[in-house]
This record gives sequence, structure tokens and C-alpha cells, in this order.
Amino acid sequence: MSTDIFRPVGEDWVPVSTALATGRRVVATPLLLLPAAGAAIVAVTASSTALRVVLAVAAVVLLGGAVAAWAWAGRNQRSWGYAEADDDLLVTSGVLFKRLVAVPYGRMQFVDVSAGPLARRLGYATVTLHTASTETAADVPGVPTEEARRLRNRLTELGESHGAGL
Amino acid sequence: MAPDSEPEQGPAAAGSAADDHPVVPDTGSVAAAPATTEAAGLRTHPLTAVTTGLLFALPAAATLILSSLQNGRLPDLPWWLLLLIPVLLALGGFVVGTAIGFVSWYVTTYVIDGEEVRVDSGLLFRSSRRVPYERLQSVDIAEPLLARVVGLCELRLETAGGSDSRTSLKYLRLADARALRGVLLERADGPDVGQTPDTAPVDGGGPDGGPGPAHERRVVNHVTPVRLLLGTLVSLDLAVSLVLGIGVLVVLVTMDAPLAAFGAAIPFATVLLNIVSNRVAAQWDSTVTEDRRGLRIERGLFTRTTQTVPWERIQGLAVEEPLVWRRLGWARLHVDIAGYGNETGDGSGESTSTLVPVADRERVLQIVEHVLDVGLDDMDRTTPPPRSWPFAPFVWRSRWVGADAVGFAGVEGWFQRRSNVVPHHKTQSVEVRQGPLQRRLGLATVEVHTPDGPVDADGRHLVAETARTIALEQVDRARRARSRPHPSPLEPR
Repeated sequence: MSTDIFRPVGEDWVPVSTALATGRRVVATPLLLLPAAGAAIVAVTASSTALRVVLAVAAVVLLGGAVAAWAWAGRNQRSWGYAEADDDLLVTSGVLFKRLVAVPYGRMQFVDVSAGPLARRLGYATVTLHTASTETAADVPGVPTEEARRLRNRLTELGESHGAGL
Repeated sequence: MAPDSEPEQGPAAAGSAADDHPVVPDTGSVAAAPATTEAAGLRTHPLTAVTTGLLFALPAAATLILSSLQNGRLPDLPWWLLLLIPVLLALGGFVVGTAIGFVSWYVTTYVIDGEEVRVDSGLLFRSSRRVPYERLQSVDIAEPLLARVVGLCELRLETAGGSDSRTSLKYLRLADARALRGVLLERADGPDVGQTPDTAPVDGGGPDGGPGPAHERRVVNHVTPVRLLLGTLVSLDLAVSLVLGIGVLVVLVTMDAPLAAFGAAIPFATVLLNIVSNRVAAQWDSTVTEDRRGLRIERGLFTRTTQTVPWERIQGLAVEEPLVWRRLGWARLHVDIAGYGNETGDGSGESTSTLVPVADRERVLQIVEHVLDVGLDDMDRTTPPPRSWPFAPFVWRSRWVGADAVGFAGVEGWFQRRSNVVPHHKTQSVEVRQGPLQRRLGLATVEVHTPDGPVDADGRHLVAETARTIALEQVDRARRARSRPHPSPLEPR
């Protein structure tokens, strides 16, 4: 492949907050590390050799999973990007399965900003654009809270001025 | 009924409802609309209760008859009792159904005012739904067989979004429903400017549009029952299910297992019934007419349905050519309306979105060109490269995308070739996608998003850089198209 087809269209992609990766790591790592630790402890104390081997393998796999999840969170966070063009919002995402979607402001039906407790604590939110098509699926996670609010207001404003109905 | 009397009321409701509720003055959004439809808190036709009763009566009797037949023989009872029991059951079902129907009829009222239609319903859990006129996607009239017997019909208001996007008023008198539809469409469309001179309406000769301006209706397409039956008979899925069904039956009967045969026959019978009800009964005598305002589809053998779609609500068209039909040069045409895509629950989704159930391909393409101003056969085609074969062996050859000044087209499918056409100004969003295997092969997929429905214009597994170019060009075309006016097919363009 010669050039990246997901390169920026006009100006550069605006990256999302690295807090997104932190948030995902905070959730995923204990979920994998705790069972890994448990398996390791039982493996050391277990009596039968077969059980020890099985548990040791499980612990290693879970540990590997935790490392992979750690790395994935970073790569996935870096893959997200958005750009406010004159008439469209462009969003790109994905490491393995990449996508680039262009949503005309005039086609937007409404904009959602949502943030869970952890996201609020880490200071980021998910901005979702809805058009009349469910295929659009343009959600941008990990937008810094202040920027998310600005983006929502800006998009709503642009949606009204570009409004083209259905 | 005089055209200028209260069109919404049955004889019983007319007195009380009209006296209790003052007439709301016309807010002047549409001067031509009858001021008398502006009354508050109207009820549907009182015979609605009786229709609900009939709907209860038939299954009650039918269940008994079926269950006694399944025992293999009639119970040992005198003949008069055998006749009397189903009749009594039907009567009981009718009384219960009528009571339920009466209560639900009594608590359901609707209001048509300057800005919206409001329907209030429910006895214990009251609900109130508002439909602003500018959100109306289509206004349909359905006449189910039972309601048709008593001269009533259901008025369906289609809006975009959600699985519950349909608001229906049942049941109204046909003439009233038509008058109401005229008013609603008038308002959905905004105030009238140039009115066409009066001409005789085509659809049934009823007082269509009531006192509003009558429109010249031109027949776009009519499918004769013979053509429809022929088209269904030569479809591959019908042939396959028939052959499989008969084959299984023959094998099981020769193996002396009639009971198993009966069990095996049921799924095939269901499939056949589905095909017949969706493609024959629902599409019977399908006629498409047009006027200044939009398209109207009239169809149905038992349940007669009339769908009215304003021109600017058409989100896209899809030409479908099954394998056997391609040899014969036949095609089917679907239309994408926001809201229609959500009705797959009762299996009516396919029939609702069908514009032309069967016609010559030439004719169908003419209709596409007429409605959207897009010439499908004249487009420059971008085809996927041969190296995309691992994703779709053989089928990749039939895929292409193209665009002209007005629309974008995506064609795919071999068993069932679908040519999806989206007018640029209806493009919701554009996407480029690439998976790991596609990246290895230097391919990517481009998608033009439309509201959920039969139209799905995708260019799968194109050369990666081409996919990006097409997507960005489409974004550009959509932007330019949005800023242009969109004359309807009957206006000069």
C-alpha cells in the first residue's frame, strides 16, 4: 500500500484525550490482572501437577491479555481523530478495522454528549452525532469535557445554519 | 356527505363531539384546508368497536373448529350442538371484542390543529402523541378486509425514526380519511403556491383532498394481476421451496410416515404463504400514480392500501433483478422512505417499500429516471479489481458504483441484483472502511448512508485510493446538491 487512505482530508486530525486510554486501562487491567493473580496463587498452592500446569497457563494467558489490553487502549486512543471541515464533520478511528466517516452538518438530527462516572472523573466525554441513518454511527469517545461541550454547541449551531431537513 | 360538512365524524359522534368541542380557528397555514377539520378532540368512527368485535369473533370460532379437527374426528354430539357451539363462541368473542373496542374507541381522541396532529389514547395509561406536519414522511390509508366490509379504513401517519414511528387512526370512513389525508399532505408540503386546475381525480372517484385543490393524477405504472402471478411463479425462491417441499413430502409418504410428512410440510407451507401474501395479495392490482405533490401507490387484494409519498420525502430507489427475471428482462422497484424501514416486525416491510412489484426493466429504469432524474445505464462505472475475488468469488464481477450529476448508484448481488440509487442531496453521511485483509490487498469499502430501508448504496472492495476519492467526491457532490433547489419530477429541471 502506497499511502494511507485515512490521512487527513484538510487540516490535521484533532486527537482525542489520552485520558481515554487511561480510563480503559483502569477498567480492563484489574479485570484481567486480578484473576491472573488468583490463578497464580492457587497454582502455587495446588497439590496436583495437572491443575498447577492448567492454572499456570491460565495465569500467563490472563497476564498476556492484560498487557495486550494495555497496549490496545493506547493504540485505539491514538487512532481516533476528528476534524471540523467547512460543511462536514470528519471522524476517523480503528486500528485493525479502520473507518473514516463524513457527516454533513446539515444532515445532523441531534448531538449527544455522554460520560460515565469514570469518564467524568478523568475529564472526557463521548460526543455522538445522529443522522436519519443508523449506519452513520459517528461517535467520538474521549473528547475532553470542555471541548465536548464546545463541539456540541458548535455542531448544533452549524446544524441549524446548514439544516437541510431529512 | 357534503364536501364541506365535518368530514371526520360518524353519525353518532357528530352530535356530541362537535357540540362539546369548540372549533379551533384555522391558523392560516393552508388557506385551502377546510376550517371544519380544525375541531378539537374528535373520535374515530363508532363502528370501530364493531370491527374490533369482528376481529375477536373469527379467531374464537376458528380456534375451536381447528382444535376439534386436529383430534382427527368430530366429537360425539348432536349436529345442532356442533353448529351452535362455534356460533356461540363467535358471538361471545364478538361481544367481548366490541366491549374492548368500545372502551378503546371512547378514550381515543384526535386533534388536528394549525401545527400538528395529536392523538390521545389509553384508559389507565394515557398517552398523547404529537405529529408535527413538517415531520410527516408519508400518509397511508389501509383498508383491511373486515373494516372494508363496513366501509371503514385506517389512516397511517408515517414519521422518521424509532420502531414506533407510525401513528394510526382507526377506523375512519373512507371519504373522511381521504379528506384528512388531503389536508395533512397539504400541510406537510407547506402552503400552496401555483394550483393546478381542477381535473377529475383518478383514485376511485372519491372526493379526494376534499375541498382542497384537486390535482391532475397521472398513472405512472400499473401491474396487471396476470403479470404479477407470472412474476411470482418464475421466482427462484418460490420454485426452490416448492420443489423442496414436494420432494420431502414424496419421500416421507413413500417411507410410510404421513405424520412426519405433515410436520415437514408446515415450514414449507409457511414460506409459500409468506411469498403469496407478500408478493401476490399485498401487491395485487398495484397502481402508481403521481401528481404535483408526490407519488401514490394503491395495492392489495384483501387489505387495500393507498400510500402517498411527497416527492421530497423519497430517500432513494432500489431496482431489484432476481436471477430468473434478468433473463426475462424484468425488475422490481423499491422506494426508501424514512420510517418504512422499521416495519419488518409484521413482515410488511418488504411490501410497504415496493413501488413496482414487477415490470419490464426498461420501464423500471424509466421510472427511476423520471422520479430521480438519474440514468442508471449511462453512468461511468467503477468496478472492484479482480484481486477482490477472495471477498466475493464470482459475485465481484457484478459489482459497481457510479455517480452522475444527480445521484449515486451502488450495484451488487448475483442471485438478486440490486441497483441502489441515492440522490446526492439525500446523502446522510459517507464512510470509507478497511479491514486487515482488505489492507493487505489494498482494497477499501465506500458506503453512502441512507435512512434504514431497502436502499443500501455501497461500493465494496474497491481499490483503496479510489474508495477514498469516491467518498470525498460524494461528500462534495452532496454539499453542492444540498444548496441547489430540487424541483419535483413534474416541474421543469
